[in-house]
Amino acid sequence: MNVSLWRATWIVAWKELVAAFRDRQTTLYTIVLPIAMYPFLFWALIQGALFVQGREEQTEVRLGVSASSDAEIPAGLTQALSKRPTLPTKASAETSAVHAAEKPIAPMVVEARGEPLDESGARSWMAKRAEKKPKTAETPDAVLWLHGPGPASDAPEGGANVYFDSSTSHSDIAKKRTLSRLPVYAESLREERARAVGREIDELDPFRIDEPKDIAAEEHGGAFLLSLILPMLLVVMTVIGAFYPAVDFTAGERERNTAETTLLLPIPRLAVHQGKIAAVCACAVLATALNLFALALSAGHLVNMLRDESELDIALPIAAMLSVVPLALLFAVFVSAVLTSVAATAKTFKEGQALLGPVQMLFLFPAMAGAIPGLELSVPLCFVPVVNVVLSFRAMLKGQWLPLEYSLTALTLLVLAALSVWIALRVLGRESLISSSGKATFWSRFGFERTRKSNA
Amino acid sequence: MNTTESAIVARGLAKSYVDPKRGRVDALRGLDLECKQGEIFGLLGPNGAGKTTTLRILATILAPTAGSAMVAGVDVTKDPLEARRRIGFLSGTTGLYPRLTPRETLRYFGTLHGIEKEKLEARVEELIDTFSIRDYADGRCEALSTGQKQRVSIARAVLHDPAVLILDEPTTGLDILASSAMIEFIDAARGRGTCVLFSTHVLSEAERLCDRIGIIHRGTLLASGTLDELAQATGKEWLEDIFLALDREARASNGVPER
Repeated sequence: MNVSLWRATWIVAWKELVAAFRDRQTTLYTIVLPIAMYPFLFWALIQGALFVQGREEQTEVRLGVSASSDAEIPAGLTQALSKRPTLPTKASAETSAVHAAEKPIAPMVVEARGEPLDESGARSWMAKRAEKKPKTAETPDAVLWLHGPGPASDAPEGGANVYFDSSTSHSDIAKKRTLSRLPVYAESLREERARAVGREIDELDPFRIDEPKDIAAEEHGGAFLLSLILPMLLVVMTVIGAFYPAVDFTAGERERNTAETTLLLPIPRLAVHQGKIAAVCACAVLATALNLFALALSAGHLVNMLRDESELDIALPIAAMLSVVPLALLFAVFVSAVLTSVAATAKTFKEGQALLGPVQMLFLFPAMAGAIPGLELSVPLCFVPVVNVVLSFRAMLKGQWLPLEYSLTALTLLVLAALSVWIALRVLGRESLISSSGKATFWSRFGFERTRKSNA
Repeated sequence: MNTTESAIVARGLAKSYVDPKRGRVDALRGLDLECKQGEIFGLLGPNGAGKTTTLRILATILAPTAGSAMVAGVDVTKDPLEARRRIGFLSGTTGLYPRLTPRETLRYFGTLHGIEKEKLEARVEELIDTFSIRDYADGRCEALSTGQKQRVSIARAVLHDPAVLILDEPTTGLDILASSAMIEFIDAARGRGTCVLFSTHVLSEAERLCDRIGIIHRGTLLASGTLDELAQATGKEWLEDIFLALDREARASNGVPER
């Protein structure tokens, strides 16, 4: 009874995987690292955030205040927002005292526009930030837009909007400070007004502060945060996941004197080589999948923690995370085939590791492109390996629908993956790797030799 | 099967490769070889004579540059897959997978030989008993001693009951006990009608085991025959003297200085 090519491929791949996961190093890099990395990463992130928070308190930010034609900018507003809030009521005063004891002075320059601006005027005043235009002295980090009767009025419908740009830390700080100081000031004016008209404070409508508006339009929430870190991590984890198996199944096999044993298997050599590539690919996919799973768990925990302790309201974009899976699989095949073909040219495990070091960098450096602000997926970039994948992951996580770019990226990746598998098969089938006879030239390392091909 | 039927036939077998430092290297230069079914054939020769290359070509690990070879009726270049199904090959470089157990190794090879599950299990148990592997059948191969590994390797090589056994220096690196077990195994193979072709440096092994002996030098077969035939041809009594006489003669005719 003969074993079919695909069944033989499957049996070889399965055997390689069983053997691989009995190796501590492979298990460490393929399973333990992807799972353990995120809790550590997020712990480091929190520590970093605490440090940054400390620095934030010292940062000077600018707030622009503008009002609609039917509203007025209260005389004391600028001064009130420029300093730490003080509350007239006993309870509030206590809270404020505690607040003041906990935090150092947080400077904010508040500049009110002399002439009223409409909402679009306030936005464009602020938008100079988002457009990355050179910041002038007049460019505020955030804008407070007052509309309707002001905070001192007892008329309804009065309110305020805060415009900010979530992509800059200064703007975010300005927003937070405004939102913490404005309600206190508005409440004090309301109390003052109630006293002036001889009514209870509850009889006056409270001053309404709407949800802050982020002018960095699409870049928001968890998707935005994930799109900053996940693409690069996906690339890194795929490469790390494939690294050890690629060396272990090729150069490692020669070092262990089992390469010849494998070549005695009564199956086509193609099945042996396909099985090896498939096993490397499975390790890469497993590492990537565990990476995503661990990220979802750790990030979920972090998000819940932040939600409880702050006003941060972000959600994990699970659907967006799943949308990267098909492209991630193709990428895993590409990476596995490239690493396998390079590792297969080495005679020893050590040589294999040394060879794969620089190759790993060829993936990691372009992956850093994913972190470059402002770099977006475009048609020409769809043909640049690794950069196309990172930028596609990034766009997908942000929920952008770019069918042409995604298709071109997938097509490029498919061609590259097929080409790398073909080269890997040639390298794995090279006779001089099997025997000690003949030392390899550069081209013969990749299967381009003039002597007859090895037995199929 | 007729015991005089040829199990291995090699005609004009040549193997060349290009070495960046040495240039073109001719490892085999038109080697002719014939081994019969149920015969033990010993291949003797100095280092670099082409013994291992010959055996690797016959085992389909390497492809010849020229010439042809038939093993158990199958052309190794035209149908290497079928040839591998009929060959059991063992050498110092056919190690065991260190992270698999002996039982897993046998199952792995058996499955790929297409042996049905129930038959395979029975065969694995039979080999475990035959080669006294049971005590360590479920421990990883990396933890086995050299002798234990050798037993498992033999079990692996004969798992599919091959018609031809090709053994490259099967006793090299083994201690006396393991070496003795190997010699017994080769001797027993003759009784089963299996053709055994093996290379060795140990002349006493060849004298004790071989029905016929071939002397290989610089990629060609200088002489082959029974010990008596070789003694008659060279006028020497002992295999060591026969070997040295043929080696000296070959070096002289090729203009290679004596060592």
